[in-house]
Parts: sequence; structure tokens; C-alpha cells
Amino acid sequence: MALFVAKRLLMALATVLVVAVLAFLLVHAMPGSPGAVSLGAGASQDAIDQLNRQLGWNDPLVSQFARWLGDAAQGNLGVSLIDGRSITADLANRLPVTASLAAGATILSAVLGVALGVTAAVRGGLLDRAIGGFVGLLVALPAFWVGIIFVYLFAVQSSVFPATGYVPFEVSPQDWALSLALPVITLAVGGAAFIARQTRASMLEALQQEHIRTLRATATPTWKILYVHALRYASLPIVAGIALQFIGLFGGSVIAEQLFAMPGLGQAVQTSVSTHDAPAVQGVVVIATVVVVAVNLVLELATKFLDPKLRAS
Amino acid sequence: MPRPGRAALTRLSRHRLLGSPGAVAGLVWLAALVIASLTAPLWLPFKTEDQDFTAVLSGPTAAHWLGTDELGRDILSRIFAAAAGTLGTSMITVIVGVGLGTILAMLAAGAGERTETAISRVTEVMMSLPGTVIILAVIGAVGTNIPLVMAILGILMSAGIYRVILGQAKSLQSQLYVDAAKVDGLGPLGISVRHVLPGLANTVVVQAALIFAVGMLIQAGLAFIGFGPPIPQPSWGGMIQGASQHVYDAPWMMVPTGAVLALTVLSANAIGNALGKAPNAAAPHLPSAADRRQRAKAVAAIAAAARDAEETGDAGTDAGAKGTLSVRNLSVGVDNAGTGTGVQLVTGVSFDVEPGTVLGLVGESGCGKTMTALSLLGLLPSGVSATGGQILWNGRNLAATPDKDMQSVRGREIALISQEPMRALDPMFTVGYQLTATIRRLRGMGRSEARAEAHSLLEKVGIVDAGRILKTYPHQISGGMAQRVAVALALSGRPKLLVADEPTTALDVTVQAEILSLLRALVKDTGMSVVMVTHDLGVVADICDQVAVMYAGHVVENGRTAAILDNPRHPYTLALLAADPHANHADSMPERLATISGQVPQPKDWPAGCRFAARCQFAGSACLEPVPLLPSSAGDGLVRCVKADQLAIEGMDWLATDVPAGRLLPVSPVSSATPEPAPEQDSIVEKDLA
Repeated sequence: MALFVAKRLLMALATVLVVAVLAFLLVHAMPGSPGAVSLGAGASQDAIDQLNRQLGWNDPLVSQFARWLGDAAQGNLGVSLIDGRSITADLANRLPVTASLAAGATILSAVLGVALGVTAAVRGGLLDRAIGGFVGLLVALPAFWVGIIFVYLFAVQSSVFPATGYVPFEVSPQDWALSLALPVITLAVGGAAFIARQTRASMLEALQQEHIRTLRATATPTWKILYVHALRYASLPIVAGIALQFIGLFGGSVIAEQLFAMPGLGQAVQTSVSTHDAPAVQGVVVIATVVVVAVNLVLELATKFLDPKLRAS
Repeated sequence: MPRPGRAALTRLSRHRLLGSPGAVAGLVWLAALVIASLTAPLWLPFKTEDQDFTAVLSGPTAAHWLGTDELGRDILSRIFAAAAGTLGTSMITVIVGVGLGTILAMLAAGAGERTETAISRVTEVMMSLPGTVIILAVIGAVGTNIPLVMAILGILMSAGIYRVILGQAKSLQSQLYVDAAKVDGLGPLGISVRHVLPGLANTVVVQAALIFAVGMLIQAGLAFIGFGPPIPQPSWGGMIQGASQHVYDAPWMMVPTGAVLALTVLSANAIGNALGKAPNAAAPHLPSAADRRQRAKAVAAIAAAARDAEETGDAGTDAGAKGTLSVRNLSVGVDNAGTGTGVQLVTGVSFDVEPGTVLGLVGESGCGKTMTALSLLGLLPSGVSATGGQILWNGRNLAATPDKDMQSVRGREIALISQEPMRALDPMFTVGYQLTATIRRLRGMGRSEARAEAHSLLEKVGIVDAGRILKTYPHQISGGMAQRVAVALALSGRPKLLVADEPTTALDVTVQAEILSLLRALVKDTGMSVVMVTHDLGVVADICDQVAVMYAGHVVENGRTAAILDNPRHPYTLALLAADPHANHADSMPERLATISGQVPQPKDWPAGCRFAARCQFAGSACLEPVPLLPSSAGDGLVRCVKADQLAIEGMDWLATDVPAGRLLPVSPVSSATPEPAPEQDSIVEKDLA
């Protein structure tokens, strides 16, 4: 098990490194030099060249990457070309927004999805088909469209929730929760549908296992067969599905943040890509990767821990 | 296993596609959308950029069927003008993603373990990336070049497709016909293209449909956040973005584009799901609540029928002695909601099991032995239930007992051992947990008391280091050990009757003998009785007191073991014995073992007359009539054959050669009515070479 964890940690580290290289190369392929982006349209070529020299833009790529990596390792992701703000500080402010959004959506998706999926598998018949149709519809609805409908229903028609904006937890926990509600529900609609499908399939698969018959033959109560034994067997693929959903929802937060005007990582990607702010793009890609890879690692270890075969070895 | 032919596969897919109304609707919608979009310039009432300032932000009107946007542009026209581009660029993701994923999977499956590990590692990394963020960074570098962005999205998604396809590609790669092709000198590429790819076709199409839907959603999402096609050009995501600005003053604008996008995604998903539906998924061992209600109705019907019979006074409800199992005229059938009963799998089965005796249910696979055995515990698989007759046990008809009342019978009075010990135990819990939980439930013991009882039960079934085994998980012990644990589990409620469904079939030869002697000792020590399902006549000779030979869902001969084995009266029993290498003594071992030509007929094909007639060497015209189960001339058994006495007098043996059916009578209508099975269909009676 220790070896397994060590291996996975190394893999995670390698993943982040590969993405860092990739982001670095992508940023260098962006149109316009940093000098031109920073100084804007009216700047003279001399001024642009001078700034580019200052930023080390003309150095060999390897030494530029080494410098960036050295700085990044010390927590310095550089400064924005647009307004000179510290990218590290900016992302540190934004990360909690996206993290609470993605975590909230994942938890809500998991709760709703597992409940729906288990109900469909366990009840069967008409209810199963009804849930199947409902879930199929949810999967097909684009999150941004659902979000706007929610804004229309809950913020425009009845002002239960604020339509847009984000209130930090430190300012007011209650407003924080209210400001998160609509974006989280928006993201969770699709997430819950995917997890419901995964759960239903895994539960049915579990109920087809022969040991379920053994349990019945020894008079195990139905609830215990379903919720202790079958759900336990199905938990491995379900948790793996939830881990995949987290990645998807973390990415999906770009749309939710845009829609609900939330100052998160997604908004940072969107603005920095639009303004060709190279170091900001590079920083946010790497930070997003670190978060996703870390959460994925934890959930993967959790799955392995759930599996007696792997735990014992 | 036959090579999955391309033709057969497409036929199957086509059938499944047309069988699903959702998929048909989806196909129609997608086709209509593509045609409408491609021909849009010919019929659209407005150009996409036409601005009608007299009708800005209008709802549906006669002029603008789906309304207009903030610049007075016709929404219907813009939706259809954007459709071809959206569908086309989504296809790029499909082709790149599914193509790359499939190629990687075939490469990994064909090129050995190291390549597979390498590819799998890379795809794992790809799957753990925040795809959306990376796609945005790509857009930063290459701009909103939609086809290129969609192609890169395809590369990112190929990892997931690879994961889905890999398992199937590996199993196709390991088929015997692939090995044969390798021996014939077909190269890896040839094998992948000729043998693996056709087998993957369905999965690939399913994935393509699902990826198409995802690609469309992501593309629309990108357009929504401003990374769509250049501005005046319409896109679905961009149109929804525009609509979102007017959700306060013109909420209608949201509806048409959102609905079209959702319908298109829904269509692709419906097609993928219809194709991807497993054709015959195994039935759950615990039926769903809806199926349990269905089952309860069947049970109630049997109970009602039994009550009616009792009132009219012609019921044979002699409850029998305590501890005696009496099965009377039992039938089991497939549930068929609406139209009464479905196909019968077991008909008119009767037998008795006295306390302390062992009854063997013998026959080939597909004769209804296991169905009969499982019905004793009310554990028939989902979709199958007892449809008539009685299972009398301690004065109770178990066939008419509701499931909740069966709980007091299961484990406590009648217990079950299954064929595959490894699969019969829950892999997620330790042996100790499974045993103690069962003992506590069935015997009402406390935790520590149950723990001690579990220990002593394991010792009783011949496990020496019981303490260690209690702490292990099922995957950590051998098959023989697992079967001992399964026997201990079955014994934990001190049952009076043990139903053993081929308990030794999956085990090694030496272990088989150990488990049999364990069962024999348990019968002797505890006085319980056993119903033993087996196709192994060696097992029958070894342990059974009584035998019921089953063929095609009913008993064809029963009686005491010695009488049946020494003086078989039914041709099927004769054939089984002639085909058994162990039943023939070494000195009289024939040069060639007999076979039974043909196969056990499917339940829906059972003839009204003798069900064995089509395969019988002695069949004649008399065999076309229904055959009753009559007292046998040998001992006190029963036999279901009109020629049993004639055969016994003439001392006929089942011949080892390929003898045409009906050799007893010159020309029989049976052999002409039922065509002779082709010789290559001959199957040696399923047999352990033990």
C-alpha cells in the first residue's frame, strides 16, 4: 500500500510537470509578445523590444522555463502583463471561490445521483423507467442554459437567491451559502445525472453477483442486502465516477463563474486568455491542474482503500 | 465461440436501434436537422443577418415562427444556419477522439503488456487533467479556430474512450480464433483489422454517439463564454449567451435554441444508449421491488389455486412426516406480465426426500435441475417463478408462501450451497464477518458467542486453522477452502435440508472428493437431508440414496440409486450411463464412449409427446403422444417412457455409434417429422473427466 501511494504521488507530480511544460509552450505560441500585450496598442517597437528583453522573452526556452519553474516552486507565478498584479496572490483569492463551487457541486451531485441511481435500481419497474427518462433529459441539458433558467426562476421571478456575485465566507457565511446556491445547483444538475447512471448500473451489477443469492439463502433482510452488501460492492465504481465528475465540474465552473459573475479561477482563465496575459494563463492552468490532480489522487486512494483486494496487498 | 461476424453485428445493432422508439426519434431528428441545415439557404424565410427593427426581441409570430433576438434577427433562421457547423465540428471531435482511442486500445491489446502499461499511464494522466482549462489555454494560443479546437478536444477525450474499449479489445485479442490466425502467420495489424475491429464495431459506434453529444455541449459552452465562431456568424452557444442578456425582458429567447440543442444532444444519447444496451443482462439475484410485487402475485395465485383444490376436496395435501420434503407436480415458468404465463421451464416435477437421505437431481445442462432446486428456497432468478404445484415442507406449501415468510425457512430450515464457492461469498467482507453475522441472525446469538460458534463451525467442516481463515477475505483462500466456508455458512442456521447446486463441479478433482466426504459425514452426523444437483453420475453413485433423472424440464426416471444405476429403464438414463467413462467398468470399457446426438431442446420447443424422442435411438410413433410417469418394472421407481418395458425385456443398450433415431422400429414418423441433427452438432454428454 505504501509503495502504491508513493507511485501515485510520483505520477501526480509528473502530471503537473508535464502540464507546466505544456502550458509554457502554449503560452509561447500565443499571438503577440508580452511586451506588446503589456504596453498596449500605442507602444513603439523600441519600448516593446526593451520590455521583452527585460522579461527575458528572448532567452532560450529552456532557461526561461527553468526560471519560471524555480520561481513557481517558491510560490511566485510572476505578475500580470495587464495590470502588474501578483498572479499568486490573485489566484490565492480566486481558488476558494472555485473550490467551494466545485466541491459543493460534487457533493450535491453525489448525494442526489447516488439516491436517484440506487432508487432506480432497487425499485425497478415504472419508477426505474421514469428516473431513467428524467436523468437522460438532465444529461442532455447544457449547464449554462440550466443556469439561466434558474436565474430566471429563482432570482428574477422570485428573489430567493442573488442572481449573480459572490460573497466571501469571512464576510458572511449565510450570504456566502446563498451566493453559491444557484451556481452549485446549476453544475450539479448534469453531475447528478451522470452519477445516477453510474450508480444504477453499478447497483444492478452488484445485485447480479452470486453472493447476493447466498445472502438471501441465509435470510439476510432485504435492506441489509441492498444497503450494506450491494451498495458496498457498488461503491468502488461509484467513487471512481464521482472522482471523474469532480474533474468535469471543476472545468464546468468556468461557465458557472461567467454566468454568475463569480471571481474564481474560471473567470481568470477566461479573461487572461481573452487578453493574452501569458503568465496569468500559465499560472492558472498549473494551479487548476494541481488542484484537480490532488483531489483525484485522494479519491483514487479512497477507492483503493474500499477494495479489500488492494488494501490487503 | 463463433467469430462475431460483421453482418450479424450490424443486423443486431439495426434491430436494437429500431427497437427503441427514442433512438428512432433521435435518428429522425438528426437526419431532419442535417438536411434542413444543409438546404437552409433554399427555404429559410430570412438571412441570418437580416435585422427586422420592427420586431426586436419578439416572441413567436407569423413572420418569425420562433421569435427574434435583440437585433431583430430571425431565431429560426439562425438556429438552422448554425446547425450544420455545430454538427460538423462536433464530428471532428468524434473522429479524432474515437479514432485515436480505438487505435490506442487495439495497439495496447495487441502489442503486449509493456505497451499497454505505457499507454494506460499516459491516458490516466490525460483523464486527470482539467480539460476545460487546457482547452481554453489552447484557444489562447491558436485563437477561436473551432475545427482545430474540436480536434484537440478529441485528443483529450480519446483517453476515456481508450479506457472503455481496452477491455473488449483485450478479450477479443485473446480469443482462440485470434491465436489460430497468429499461428497461420497473420501479422498484428491484420489481426487488429480483421478480427478485433469488427468485434469492437458496436462499442465504437456507441462511444461515437455519446462523444458527439458531449462535443456539442462543450462547443456550445465555449461559444457561450465568448470563444465561438467570429461574431456575426451564428452559433447555438452564442445565441444562448445573447439570450441570457435578456432573460429579464425577453425570457422566451432562451427557449428555442436551448430546446434544439437539448433535443440534438438527447438524440445522440438515445442512439448511443439503444446501441449500447447489453442484449441480455443477467438477472439480479435480488429482484427489484417491482419484480418482487410481480412475484408476490404469482405466489398468491398458487396459494389461491391450492385453496380451491382443497375446497373441492381433491388436493393431495398430505403434509407428510416432519422433515420430509414432498414436491408435487411443481412447475416453474418465465413471468409474462399481461398475457398470463410465459414459457414453462419445469413441468410436473414430483419427488420426496426423507430425513437423513440424499436425493440426486441428474441431467444435462438446461434440463431444469437448478430451477427446481432454487424454487425450494424461493430463490428463483428475477423474472422466473413457480407457476403451480406444491413444495410441501413441515406442513407448509413453500410454493405458495410469500417471500417474507420464506425468510424463516431460508437458512434455518433449508440452506443452499452453490456451484462457485468463490463467487458465493461476498468479496467485500471477511469470512469471519459473514459467518458471525449469519450465525447471529439465524441463531440469535451475541457477538462473542457467534464468533466462537463460527470458529467451531469452520473446524467442523475440516478447516484446521479456523482462527486465521476467519480473518481472511474470500479472495485470499483457495476454491476448496471457500467451499468449506460456504458449507459452514449453510450450516450456521442448523438446517434440516441442504440444497446443493453442483457443489463440486468448479473444484479440483482431489478437492471434490473431500467436499463429498464432508457432505456425507454431515448427513450422517446431523441427520439432515440433501437435494444434490449434479450432472456427474460418479457423484450420484457416491452419495445419493435416491435419484431423479431430469430431461427438458421434467423427471423422466426416478428411484433408488442402486436400481437406477444398475437397471436403468429410460433411454435417457441409459444414454447418460453409456456416455459416462466411470460408469463403465475397466474390463467392459467400450472402445468408444456413447454420445447423445443433438441438444436438449429449448423450453419453447418442447414437443407434446416425449421430449427426448428427437434424440432417442429407440423412438417410434408411440412417442408422439404425451408420456405419463409410470411405475418402473425395476424396483419401486417411476419411468416416463412408453417403451421402457420392451427395452428391458430385449436388453437393448445405448449404442456408441451414430445410430439414426428409431432403430427399434423400421421407419418412424418421428424421425421424419423431426429432422436428424447434423452429425457435427453431436455433443458428448456434459461430463467431468474426473
